[in-house]
Amino acid sequence: MTGDGRGRAEMLRFENVSNSYGSEEVLDDVSLALAPQDVEVVIGPSGSGKSTLLRCVNRLTDIDAGEMRLDGQKLSGLDENELRRRVGMVFQQFNLFAHRTALGNVTLGPRVVRGLSREAARELGHEHLRRVGLADQADAYPGELSGGQQQRVGIARALAMGPELMLFDEPTSALDPELIGEVLSVMRELAGAGMTMLCATHEMGFAREVATSVTFLEEGRIVERGPPAQLFESPREERTREFLSRLDDPTAVDRGPGR
Amino acid sequence: MLGRPSLAQLLVAPLWLYLIVRWTHDWVLAPGQNVSARVSLLPLEAVSETARWLDRAGESGLLAAVSTWAAGGVEFLAFGLASLPQLAAGAWLTILLTVSAILLGFVLAVPLAVVRVYGNRPLRWLSLSITETLRGTPLLAQLFVLYYGLSLTRYLGAIPGIGWGLIPGTAVFVAVVGFTINSAAYQAEYIRSALQGLDGGQLTAARAVGLSKLAGIRHVVLPQGLRFAIPGWSNELVYLIKYSSLASFITVGDLFFRARSIGSDSYRYLEIYAVAGVFYVLLVLSASMLMERVETRTAIPGLGTTGDR
Repeated sequence: MTGDGRGRAEMLRFENVSNSYGSEEVLDDVSLALAPQDVEVVIGPSGSGKSTLLRCVNRLTDIDAGEMRLDGQKLSGLDENELRRRVGMVFQQFNLFAHRTALGNVTLGPRVVRGLSREAARELGHEHLRRVGLADQADAYPGELSGGQQQRVGIARALAMGPELMLFDEPTSALDPELIGEVLSVMRELAGAGMTMLCATHEMGFAREVATSVTFLEEGRIVERGPPAQLFESPREERTREFLSRLDDPTAVDRGPGR
Repeated sequence: MLGRPSLAQLLVAPLWLYLIVRWTHDWVLAPGQNVSARVSLLPLEAVSETARWLDRAGESGLLAAVSTWAAGGVEFLAFGLASLPQLAAGAWLTILLTVSAILLGFVLAVPLAVVRVYGNRPLRWLSLSITETLRGTPLLAQLFVLYYGLSLTRYLGAIPGIGWGLIPGTAVFVAVVGFTINSAAYQAEYIRSALQGLDGGQLTAARAVGLSKLAGIRHVVLPQGLRFAIPGWSNELVYLIKYSSLASFITVGDLFFRARSIGSDSYRYLEIYAVAGVFYVLLVLSASMLMERVETRTAIPGLGTTGDR
């Protein structure tokens, strides 16, 4: 079982993390740990706190209780901007810098934050665009790219900063079905190359094939967590079973017990 | 500008050609001449002669009536031509005031707007009070406060060089200050609304890559926000060209001042204001053409002009 944090270097640890938005509790006593190269997939209904969970890692959202550590260091002790150089994030809505080309999007971070020269940044940018299969779109603007292409630029942009950990916040949820595949294959390749990844997604196929561990989050609490084979085939919790069956048959009307 | 010239270009080109010729004459070829004493370079006499001839032409009846009417028109032309040198001198100050105010105002407006959208509570409140005070009080009152109330001229007069040769006098500087801070407030509103229309995810993504809030604002938010502010900004430019006429009330010899003084000398108010009006229209037209050019040059493929997704 991964993430037991005993005797191995841990990449990420959540310990009793809680987060509230006003009076509403978004995350409730969440604890989990990732080892390097783990691919953790978080599933759950909308509003379950998946996005918040991810945003707590790079401190886009601050936690109200508990402790988080990146590679052993307490997150609260790290400089925000420093932290974000080490943790890359890919957004559901892509959030590409609309006024810059694909290459410009990828090179902004390295130029401004890491102080790379123009040439060095361009080379780095081209390399990462090649990696996601968009070498020929370097000079295209986001407005000229398809959703799948935009998201791949988003991935390249995050990778260009050389992160230790990648966060994926429902990366394919805003994509047309035929464009999902190209993004998932980039993610699959990334996982294969050894990147530590934390993904919130509805793509069960991806979770089954790529994840090292799957977490089911509901109403801010971890209901169940385990290797994909176990969680999908024989979930321990009733609520997990319910959620998974709803996914298998999304138009079924709940007729109550005994259906 | 290549290819077939548009109607706007045909109307506007003569204005600028004339102004450049006139200004070159006044500052380079024959400097130091008092504005009221300047004489037109154009063949005034010929035009006046034509007017007089037309007036006398024709004995009676329809032909005489038509030629008298034509004489009136040509005489108006003569009057307009005679007043051009003064109006050209005035136009220079109008343009100077407008350009200084819009550019300096912009420099002040950007921080005002950024603070208003991204600053902490006390800073936001400060920015809001400044803009609301400046937008809530009449521009003329602001100018009067600066010129007559605070007597800024006294302090500005102490600066060496002001009023010498081509450098305008103290009143012009006071006017620039007044227009600058007033325009800054209006521009800040346009920029603020453009920044608020921007998708929040842009700054979030910038921060997620490791940029500080300030760096994110500088590299991601402003380049987009300022583009969206261009329509509002052109609006402000057009207004400023006309509001600059208020400077005439604090003794600045701008276009309106010159028109008024020619009017009071000749009592031909309607005619002189008509000519000045033509100047203003052509200046506004030039500004619109310029802004259109700016909008096309800064357009991003795939990005609209309002920031809506």
